[in-house]
Amino acid sequence: MNLYQPHLVRVTDVVDETADTRTLRLQFKDPSVAESFDFRAGQFGEYSAFGAGECTFCIASPPTRKGYIECTFKAVGKATNALRGLGVGDTMGFRGPYGNHFPLDRMEGASLVFIAGGIGLAPVRCVIWNVLDQRDRYGDVTIVYGARSVGDLVYKHELEDWAARTDVRLWQTVDPGGQTPDWHGEIGFVPAIVEKAAPTADNAYAVVCGPPIMIKFTLPVLAKLGFPPERVYTTLENRMKCGLGKCGRCNVGPVYVCKDGPVFSAAELAQLPAEF
Amino acid sequence: MDTLFITRENLAALTADLLASGTHVAAPTRASDAQTEYRYVTDFAQVRLDGSMPRRSLKELFLPPTEPLLRWRQHQGDVELQEVPTSFPPTVVLGARPCDAAAVDVLDRVMGWDYRDELWFGRRAATTVISLACPGVDDLCFCSAVGGSPESTRGADLLLTPVTDGYHVTVVTDKGRSLLSAHPSRFGALPASGPLPAGPRIPAPGPLPLGQIRTWLESNFDHPLWHEVALRCHGCGACASVCPTCHCFDIVDEPEGVDRGTRRRNWDTCQTSVFTLHASGHNPRHDQGARFRQRLMHKFSIYPDKFGEVLCTGCGRCARACPAGQDIVELLGRIGALAAGNGHEKVEA
Amino acid sequence: MKELQVLARKLLAEGSVGVVIGYEEGPHGVRPAFITRSEDAGRLVFDPRCVHNLATYLSPRRSVVKGLGKPAVVVKGCDARAVAGLLRESQLTRDDVVLIAVRCGGVMQHPAQHVDLRAETVADRCAGCDVREPHLFDFMVGEAPTAPPATDRREARIRELEAGSPADRWAFWQQELARCVRCHACRQACPMCFCERCVADKTQPGWIESSPHPRGNLAFHLTRAIHQAGRCVDCGECERACPAGIPLGLLNRKLALVVAERFGHHASDDPSVPAPIGSYASNDGQEFIL
Repeated sequence: MNLYQPHLVRVTDVVDETADTRTLRLQFKDPSVAESFDFRAGQFGEYSAFGAGECTFCIASPPTRKGYIECTFKAVGKATNALRGLGVGDTMGFRGPYGNHFPLDRMEGASLVFIAGGIGLAPVRCVIWNVLDQRDRYGDVTIVYGARSVGDLVYKHELEDWAARTDVRLWQTVDPGGQTPDWHGEIGFVPAIVEKAAPTADNAYAVVCGPPIMIKFTLPVLAKLGFPPERVYTTLENRMKCGLGKCGRCNVGPVYVCKDGPVFSAAELAQLPAEF
Repeated sequence: MDTLFITRENLAALTADLLASGTHVAAPTRASDAQTEYRYVTDFAQVRLDGSMPRRSLKELFLPPTEPLLRWRQHQGDVELQEVPTSFPPTVVLGARPCDAAAVDVLDRVMGWDYRDELWFGRRAATTVISLACPGVDDLCFCSAVGGSPESTRGADLLLTPVTDGYHVTVVTDKGRSLLSAHPSRFGALPASGPLPAGPRIPAPGPLPLGQIRTWLESNFDHPLWHEVALRCHGCGACASVCPTCHCFDIVDEPEGVDRGTRRRNWDTCQTSVFTLHASGHNPRHDQGARFRQRLMHKFSIYPDKFGEVLCTGCGRCARACPAGQDIVELLGRIGALAAGNGHEKVEA
Repeated sequence: MKELQVLARKLLAEGSVGVVIGYEEGPHGVRPAFITRSEDAGRLVFDPRCVHNLATYLSPRRSVVKGLGKPAVVVKGCDARAVAGLLRESQLTRDDVVLIAVRCGGVMQHPAQHVDLRAETVADRCAGCDVREPHLFDFMVGEAPTAPPATDRREARIRELEAGSPADRWAFWQQELARCVRCHACRQACPMCFCERCVADKTQPGWIESSPHPRGNLAFHLTRAIHQAGRCVDCGECERACPAGIPLGLLNRKLALVVAERFGHHASDDPSVPAPIGSYASNDGQEFIL
């Protein structure tokens, strides 16, 4: 057994979040692995369809829910298209958990603001459920989530759950023109809705994930609201292969995204060269 | 460290003994185009210990250009994995260049960083390295400029130093000592006579200001120097393929039938345009300037940052191999001058 | 090379080009130079060490070079053939480039620190050169060259391989290609390999295995050789660039001979001569179909 050998996992559920985004629920075939597997919110894995190759995704399900892991992905290339071709009962590979994690210990007692765009909700959703499963450890929870259109929103049923909860303040938005006639949420780009939501920065952390342009315009809004860059976290998506610091591909400036990340604070990101 | 002596005849006999016992022996040999390359030999007559520089390094003995990681077989949605071995047949490298042996030791850092690469270390454990002290090759060599030396024992288990009639044998590690103990008749005491013959020597360059170079690299990410040197770069990766310390690799799945295949790792290089290309089409390193800079920074800034030493042992192969005339010694010299603020550095924007 | 330097200085000073791509003295021999300021034109040299095919820098995928503006490029006859190829295949328009042709009497097979051109050191490909004074040019510099002192050593090697059985040839190429580690230096240095995305890099589908094992290497090199058939200008860069010493030129040369024999076509430095793959003649051999 070498470190590049994956665990075998079986697909137990398939959900089409949008026309091009799918979630797979996976269970480890080896019962002892299923029993002992553990991870922290923010870590990622290498998911493979044998014959097509490995893909790097965060673990989208929370560590507080045992017995399965999930990944959410868009079919854009060879390996992701092969994953998309898998159905319930099929076997694939998983290596992980790799990387660092969101500093939830440090965030205990604080208020949390989750900001995500499009498929960027996947890694954030992991943290959200981790937090909601341990709700009493945290202060206010605000979620601002948006996508290009209603159809592009992921985890639609969970959004309904969060909207219905009284211990979470959820703002949903779509880009102008992306609304349907029965849309009751906001209309506007995510950064503008963050500004509108105006969550307090007092003893609060922000977790941001989404398309680069969304992050680019959200960070100044958070700064204006008073969030210091040390209390704003994001997770980087990078081309990876080994996922464990050997193959050199994810090296950005002084860091290896697979080892020193993928979770970085905005302060740490600012130190990195613009090569991601 | 102990020093013993071996005659050339006994070295040939030792090689024959090793081969006869099933040990693999790798050594510099003569290739079909008369160049030298490290290859497995079947006879001492194939071994070339004339000081010529093998065109590639020792890294391929420990990180092969292509290597299976696992094999799979599929049957109706189910998959069975076949492991690959992580223990390897005993191997002796005879006549490693000190820069190449040192490089293997340098690479141990990343290969053992938190996760232990069993394939790399499996081969390391199975291999005994006998280095051959180097007379210097040409003025592209610069081991002494990066903390090495032509007689370096780093990465070696035994070091041979050529003298008249044979070689001084310096025992460096226990593994080297074991080899001696297993073949006692081949080795003798140092002959009483004479000093080592001083063969012709290329003058060794003085040390580069590696600390200053690293500092400059860290704070000059957008310097026009990168754009300038990238102009002639083909983005080919010839440099990375001959380099003893470049180790980036790709992982690919290779179907070998409808229901089976091999997952492999293959040598790769940050110099290609597709190295950092995302499936979305986004490419964080989208021009050759960015890619050329990455190689230099990985070697002289990032690796020292993470592991305390540069990812280079000064063999000079990159400069020899480059079809476009890139010269790492020249470049490091320019960066050193820029770092020292010599100000006369003219860089074309 | 005073004439060349004067010309370069003039072109840059008057602003008709943004860069002169030529050769300069590097620390260990000549190397490609990119002169953007007229005061640096004195760096330009030309002598038998100048083997590099500078036409490769005209490829549209070289964004760093493109950014310098309209180029003037120093070309030998063989290099001019590559420029003609780029023009023929619509990678370049004639107005995009200024060609400074040099009269050439041969280059060294293994250019070293010093000029030393003799029958023993001259490049194999210079034998029988008919473009010592290139036909495609805007400016012509240099002295009328003598014929290069050459014999085409490759002729003998190709005949030898042809005389062998298929098993012999297979064994030869398996042995040579075993050294390939898929660095793609051959492709990257080649002026006619200008594809933005090489077929060997495609994954959907993965036509050519990327692994450097015998199967993958054969697939890559045979594909590249076929893609170069009729297009290869015999500049020798692929073989020179190969860090593993693989005699790639033999493959390309053999296919060039096949194309010459079957279609009467040679890679020409006249861009108006159509490519064999884009044209046909009614007397093209069809014995392989009929």
